[in-house]
Formats: sequence, structure tokens, C-alpha cells
Amino acid sequence: MSKTTIKNEQNFIKNKPYYEPVGDEVAIFTAAYENQLPILLKGPTGCGKTRFIEYMAWHLKLPMVTVACHDDLTASDLIGRYLIKGGETVWIDGPLTSAVRHGYICYLDEIVEARKDTSVVIHPLCDGRRLLPIEKLGELLEALSSFCLAISYNPGYQSVLKDLKQSTRQRFVALEFDYPNAAIEEAIVIKESGIDESMAHKLVKLGHMTRNLKGNGLEEGASTRLLVNAGKLIHSKVAPVHAVDTAISQALTDEPDMFQAVHELSRSIF
Amino acid sequence: MSNQSRQNLLYRIRIQKDLEKVVGPALNRLPNLDTIISMIANLSDPQQVFISHWAGLIADSNTELAAHFISFAPKAFDTMVDADVQKWVDLFLKKYDNHGLGKAITLLEDISGFAIDQENKGVRCSLQQTSLFLQHFIRGLGGRELKISGNDETYTNTEGLFLPESISLFPQPKQNFTIYKLTAAHLWAQTWYGTWRIQVLEKLTAEYNDQKSLNIFNRLESIRLNYFIARDFPGLSREFSEFENRDPKVVALWKLWQDRANGLRSPTATAVDTIENIHHFLDIDLPVLQPYQGEIFLDRIRETMLSRIEQEQIAFQKSLDKLRDDNAPKDEADDDDFVAKQMLEVSDGDSGEGEPSETNFQLTLDGQPIELSDDLKNLAGSIMQDFGEIPDQYMDPMEQGEYSDALLAQNGESEGDTDPDLNETGTFQYDEWDCTRQRFREDFCTLRELVVPPGDESFISDTLEKYHGALRVIKKCFEAVLGESRPQRRQPDGDDIDLDAIVNAHVDMTLGKDMSDHLYTKYRNQERNVAVMFMVDMSGSTLGWVNNAERESLVLLCEALQLLGDRYAIYGFSGRTNKRCEVYSIKDFKENYSLEVRQRISGIRPKAYTRMGVAIRHLGQMLQKTHARTKLLITLSDGRPEDYGGYKGQYGIEDTRHALLEMKQSGVHAFCITIDSEAQEYLPHMYGTANYAVIDEVEKLPLKVADIYRRLTT
Ligand SMILES: Nc1ncnc2c1ncn2[C@@H]1O[C@H](COP(=O)(O)OP(=O)(O)OP(=O)(O)O)[C@@H](O)[C@H]1O
Ligand SMILES: [Mg+2]
Repeated sequence: MSKTTIKNEQNFIKNKPYYEPVGDEVAIFTAAYENQLPILLKGPTGCGKTRFIEYMAWHLKLPMVTVACHDDLTASDLIGRYLIKGGETVWIDGPLTSAVRHGYICYLDEIVEARKDTSVVIHPLCDGRRLLPIEKLGELLEALSSFCLAISYNPGYQSVLKDLKQSTRQRFVALEFDYPNAAIEEAIVIKESGIDESMAHKLVKLGHMTRNLKGNGLEEGASTRLLVNAGKLIHSKVAPVHAVDTAISQALTDEPDMFQAVHELSRSIF
Repeated sequence: MSNQSRQNLLYRIRIQKDLEKVVGPALNRLPNLDTIISMIANLSDPQQVFISHWAGLIADSNTELAAHFISFAPKAFDTMVDADVQKWVDLFLKKYDNHGLGKAITLLEDISGFAIDQENKGVRCSLQQTSLFLQHFIRGLGGRELKISGNDETYTNTEGLFLPESISLFPQPKQNFTIYKLTAAHLWAQTWYGTWRIQVLEKLTAEYNDQKSLNIFNRLESIRLNYFIARDFPGLSREFSEFENRDPKVVALWKLWQDRANGLRSPTATAVDTIENIHHFLDIDLPVLQPYQGEIFLDRIRETMLSRIEQEQIAFQKSLDKLRDDNAPKDEADDDDFVAKQMLEVSDGDSGEGEPSETNFQLTLDGQPIELSDDLKNLAGSIMQDFGEIPDQYMDPMEQGEYSDALLAQNGESEGDTDPDLNETGTFQYDEWDCTRQRFREDFCTLRELVVPPGDESFISDTLEKYHGALRVIKKCFEAVLGESRPQRRQPDGDDIDLDAIVNAHVDMTLGKDMSDHLYTKYRNQERNVAVMFMVDMSGSTLGWVNNAERESLVLLCEALQLLGDRYAIYGFSGRTNKRCEVYSIKDFKENYSLEVRQRISGIRPKAYTRMGVAIRHLGQMLQKTHARTKLLITLSDGRPEDYGGYKGQYGIEDTRHALLEMKQSGVHAFCITIDSEAQEYLPHMYGTANYAVIDEVEKLPLKVADIYRRLTT
């Protein structure tokens, strides 16, 4: 069995991704897109930001370039660089440049992780004329009209070194995400994991219990992603309490008292 | 007299004389001294030595207690193994130290109780071991915060769960642990499924405030609650039945009650229905309570609830007023009339089913739904737990006059404190934010800088000793922070060649451009450009444990910070009234971690109150003057801001919040580490959701502070 590798810039999403709208985010994203405004997705981990942008890429029929930012990511990683091929120098577009050039969606995931100098290239792209300065080529690349810049940011981060600068955040239309309400979250868990309604109801209830503990021994409650993961294990016949222990409790904490509390909470509802 | 008995007599006299020597005349006041002496005479030599040794030591504190000890020691040796006798002595001595003579003697005399306790030790589960777990567990279940504490009686007052200090009902410790969990859960269920709605409380107080009715109510309510628990928490419900009383008579009696009260086992049954059932049960026997059931103390519930309801109504109306204000169109915002006329409406969502649900709570302003802050959501949730809805009058705007009643504005003059000389050097004036008037009180606070007097240096070495192992781990983590720093690319010189840079240079060369000579990678860590100010709460409430933990935290932190090389300063703060605000220098930015600094850390002692705003302004300014890219202000505290004369509640919180906002605007990041378990109520508002940490146990503070610092700055 062979899998085709997908080149980042050709990531054209053919099948409709499953996305359960939580509010008016689809309409707002569309409106921002039509007005060529860049978009900031804010929200805790695993609440559906990535899934949403994939859905929007499909919806707008645009290929999407995703860059997972890390703390060694520099501006030239985004823009591109010269390489040497057989003595010749060849310019290779970075993911951002290729999205700008061809009019794709460019999604910079966890932007705060990237080095500070990346903001230098992002800022002019967010302004009225949407330009990307490519210093090495001595070019100013104007974005194709269909180009769309989206970034994500998790405000729960505690490190003060990783706060999003005002000058950056104020250039974006911000869409705030949170864990969906119980009914929607149940629907997501059912659809994603294949478990039945009553089991999904319990998982979501457990999710809420762990979210009650946020800030009091837990840094974060269980995300939708974790609930889906537990659901998948249960669907594959793992006993519910055990599935929760492995997919949720262990992921949330290392503290024995807290682990036991989450464990007992899950025992109480199954 | 035979030789033998003469010998015995002499022996006993010698024992008595010896004991008299250590205890004094108190010995002769013992009623049956002769019997006691002859019983002692029958003990083994080591036992006798034990008695006279300890009698001497105890007599140093109190001769009365020593005499009592002598009179009960023979019985103690009779009922217990020798090792347990020692524990018995330790225990009543501790009681004496903490609670005085009366309590100590009561404990001392209860030898059989102590012996049973000793035997149970293997099976017992103590609250101390379980309270942290229970606190998490109950919080997870949801609803208003319930504080867990130990008590001789098991009950809830709707803000706390009171549980026995230890449980040894069952032969396995694990079973006793489960009893803790089930008892806490059952009491929680009362607060969650509406046992203490205000209507219920009023009806019980008015019509059924006698012990018999309350006993019946407790049992019937338990039948109703068990129905809901079975529906929503099948796992818990299974455990409830596992631990129920198996005695056939008891089982039969409960069955009879359940059958007669069948109407209560329905999703629509409320506690009012329970009350209406009471009179059907006056003529039948009361079943004994199940092991997981607590008792009911109506007065304690009433007292807690009424004061909460009053406070929450004010808080709620004030929040809504603020919402109206914030959402009013700009040009109308000053027009009180307009603001008051906006239509705020609430829909409780129809969770029905007897479960209060703050998540379904929706507020609309002139038809537009509004986002609620977490504070307001919690407040609304708590109100719904009391009323089952948000009462209509809660939605009315507050009368203007009510502000000043509920929230006394500060009166600086009335303190009667003499002004310290304002020209004194090291005296500073600061504004304070008055939320009742929405403006600053100019130069309202006078602050002086003092230096902590040096304390005993052995505290430092003791701490280092005590946390020897932990410190190694902390240091390792901090070293990892340094190690983490990535190789620096494109350096003019370095440890390794930067391939990327070479390729680039090559390209430049072929393109005929200048070739850069920044071709190396350097593995040295990037310079951490961090300056941090630690602001330590020295208010009176930190006396004891907290003060100790704060000092220990600072010691560990300093050790770890030496490694990172971050610039840091440590100041304490306290004060009494706006005229006498004080900050205490422990280490300024320029000082090294010297002997003096260590002695000052050791010398930190609780002072007076917590006027936080002014301390933040002063220390924040100091921090701003340092040249660092990242500036951090970290507060270690044990509670909310509070000072003499009105600096409390909302006023103190708002001033502190304002001071923090001023800091934020000038580029200082503020973070708070607290051990106040109620911090949830005000810290998110003051510091912002991600900017604080609550430590559950004081003992953990020293370890956590270093850990939090590391996470904050990497
Ligand atoms: N609204 C939604 N519709 C469908 N699936 C969802 C939705 N929200 C969350 N999920 C589920 O949660 C999982 C995690 O979501 P996603 O990967 O988009 O999170 P994220 O917000 O990007 O998290 P992170 O910040 O950690 O990257 C998805 O794989 C999907 O199963
Ligand atoms: Mg993602």
C-alpha cells in the first residue's frame, strides 16, 4: 500500500471536512476573507481551530498551506531561500511566499512560538496593499487577491515571553474559539468517534468536570480532542473508565491526587 | 510484718519518694495514691524508669499534668504495648501544647479510646490524607466552591463540607477512603439538587424546625437525592448501594420508607415535595443513617445562606449595572437614566430535571445576547443554586444610594493615626484608585521603604537541608532551561559551521554580491534578558506556616536563580492604613545573593495588613527603571488585599487591579502566586485568567514557586 505524499502547497482539500459550526464563525471568516482581512483564531488547545480552517479552505475552494511554528522558525523559513543545484543557485519559495504568489490560504499555527523576526514579514502582508518583501530577491511581492492569512494563538499560555505583541494582534480580525456547548460537543464526539449518544453524553459531562478544575490544580480541562480520543478507544471496545484514564486523565496531569480525582469522577458516571 | 512485706513497703516508699522529687506536692493530691504506687511497683523496671523519666519532663511544663500521668500510667501499660504508651504520651503532650491543660487531661484519661484508635490505625483513613483528593473531586462535580474541613459532625452549610478527621468504619483503608468520597458526594448532592433552595429553608424553619421532623426530612431527602444520583452518576450510585447497611432489619426499614416515599423518586420531585411527605412518616421508626449520610444543622445553613444571598444580590446587581454601563452607546453613557432603561433579560435555559445549570444561563441586553465573564457566570450559578432561577428583582438596576451602603468609601481621616513626618527621606506619595468614585485619590498613600532586619542564618541551611533532594531536581530543570537555548545561527565565530549560512554565502558569491562572514553556529545560550521583582506578602495573616513557606520558597528560588543569572529583587510589603504603607527591602536589583540577603530572607516576619495597590505601584516603578527586555512582577500572597479602614472587598480589589493595569501599560508582566483557596473569586479579575496560580497546600509552595517561575520565563 503506498501513500502519496502531499506537497504542502498542493494541499487542496477535496473532501468536505467535518466541522460543526459553533456560532457565526463561518460567516465572519467569509466576510473577512472577502474583505481581504487577515484572521486570528484564538482559543485553547484542541477546540477545533485547525479543523475550522480546513473546513474554510474547502468551503472557499482554496488550497491551504499550514506552517506549524516552532521556536527556531525564522523569517527565511517562511519566505524561502537560495539553494545550490549543480553549481547553479536556485531560489525556492518558502510556504508563505508560495501562498502569497498563488493566492492560497496560509495558516500559521501557534504563531507565538515562532521567532520574533517573523512578525516583520507578517506585518506588511496584513496592511492595505498586502505586500511581502523578499529581501534576497529584492522584490516586493503583491498578494494575489485570493490569498488569505490566518494565524492561531492560544491565550492560555503562561510564558510572558510568548505573548502576542499588540502591534501584531491589532492587525487581525479575531475569532474567539472555546469548547463548544454540551449539545454540539456531543454531536462532535459521536461523529468523530462513532460511539453512541449516551456514551458521548457521559464523556462530555466528564469534560465539563475537568474544566471545573482548571486553574485549581489543572492547567487546562480536557479538550474536545481528548474527548474524541477517549471516544475512539471506547468505540474500539476499551472499557470506558480505562479509556478515560489513558486518553484523558494521564494527558491532563501527573499529580497523583489530581489523577485520582479525575479517575474517580469518571468512575462515578460510567 | 514479714520480711517480704517489709521489703515491699520500703520499695513502695522509695518509688513514692522518687516521684515526689520530680513532681512535687501535686503527687500527694492524687486521691488513691497508695493503689497507684503499688500498681507501679508491679511494673517492670524499664516501665518504672519510663514513668519517672517522663513524669520529670512533663513536670517541667506542668506538675498537675505530670501527677495525672503517673496516676494513669499503670493502666496505660496494662492496656497497651509499650510503644503505644510512648505515642499516648506524645499525643497528650501535644494536646497540652496546643490546647491547654483541660483538653490534655481529657485525652490522657481516655486510654481505652486511644488504644482502640491505635488498633484501628492500620485500617483508618484520615482526612489529611484525602482532603486534597476530595477537594478536586468535589470541584470537578461542579457548582459553588465547597471547602473541605474536619469536624466532629458531618454536615454541609452550603459553603463547606464538614467531615470527620478520620474514618475507620470498615476493615480496609480503601473502603474507608471510599466512605470519605461517598459522604462528600452525598453532601455535595444536597447543594446541587436543591435540598437547600431558599424556599425549602424558609419552609423548614417556619414549620418543621424540630429534631424529629429534621430527622425524617434528612432520610426522605436522601431517598430523593439517591434517585438523582442514580440517574446522573450510575457509578457513584453503585458504590452507595455497596456500602449501605446490610442488617436485614435496617434494610427492611429503608425499603419500607422508600416504598412509602416513592413519589420522591421522580425527576420532577423537589425538596419541597420532601417536606410535604414528612407528616406521613411521623408514626414509623427511623432507619439508621447510612454510613455515607451526614446530619442536618438548620441554623448553620441558614446563617451561611442568608449572608451569602445578601452579598450576592449586591454583587450581581453591581455587575449588571456595569454591563449596562459598558454596553451603552458612547454618547449616552453618562446619562444615568438612559443606562438604567436598557432592558436586561435573563433566560435560565430549561435544564428542568432538577439540575441547576449555569452553562445554560443566558443574558440578553435589549435582545442582544452578551458574553459573561467567568466571575459573573459563577455568581449566577451560585444564585441559581439558592433560588433555582435568577429572581426578578436581581435584574433591576441598583438604587444609586445603595452603593455607599454596600461599599463604604474610604475615609482617610478617621483613622486617628498620627501622620508620619512627610519630609522623611525614603517617603513616597502614591495615588489610589477609588472605584466608588471612579477616580484617583491623589497622593492618598504614604509609603516608606524599610529594610528587613537580619534573621538567623541557620534557617537558610535548615531549608537547604530539608529540600536537599528537591533542590537538585529544581536546579536540573533550571539548567535544562539554559541547555534548551538553541544554537545561535550566523555568528562571526562559533563552535560549528552553519551550513545554511555557507550556502547563502556561496549564493551571494556567485551572484557577485558581498559574502557575509557570519558563517558559524554558536552553542552558547542566548542572553536571558529578564528582570523580576518578587513582592512578598508580609501581612499579619501569614503568621506561622505561610511565612515559613514564603521564606523557604525564596531560599530555593534564589538558589535556582543564581544559575539563570536573571536580575531579581525581593521586597516585602505590608502596612496599616494609607498613611503607613511599607515596603521592606530584602534584596535590591544591584545586590548579590549575599550573606546579608540570606539573613534578611530569614528575618522576614509578618507585620500588619495588605494594602496591595500602593506596593505594586512603588515596586513596579522600581522594576520599570531596570533595563531588561522582559520585566516581571511576581506576587506571593495568602489572600485578597485588605487594610484598615475600608480597604477591603471590592475597593481593595479594584485598586489592586487598577495598579496592575498601570503596570501592564508600562510593559511589566504581573503574576500572582497565592495559597488562598478562594482566590478564584477575585484573582482572574485582578490579574487576568492566565496570570495567577493557586497552590493547594502551603507545604508545596517552596517547590511550586521555582517551577512556576521557570514556566513563566521559558
Ligand atoms: N467544531 C468542531 N467540529 C468538528 N470537530 C471538532 C470541532 N471542534 C473540535 N473538533 C475535534 O477536535 C479535534 C481537535 O481539533 P483541532 O485539531 O482543530 O484543535 P486545535 O484548536 O487546532 O488545537 P491546537 O491548538 O492544539 O492545535 C479535531 O480533530 C476534531 O475531532
Ligand atoms: Mg491545531
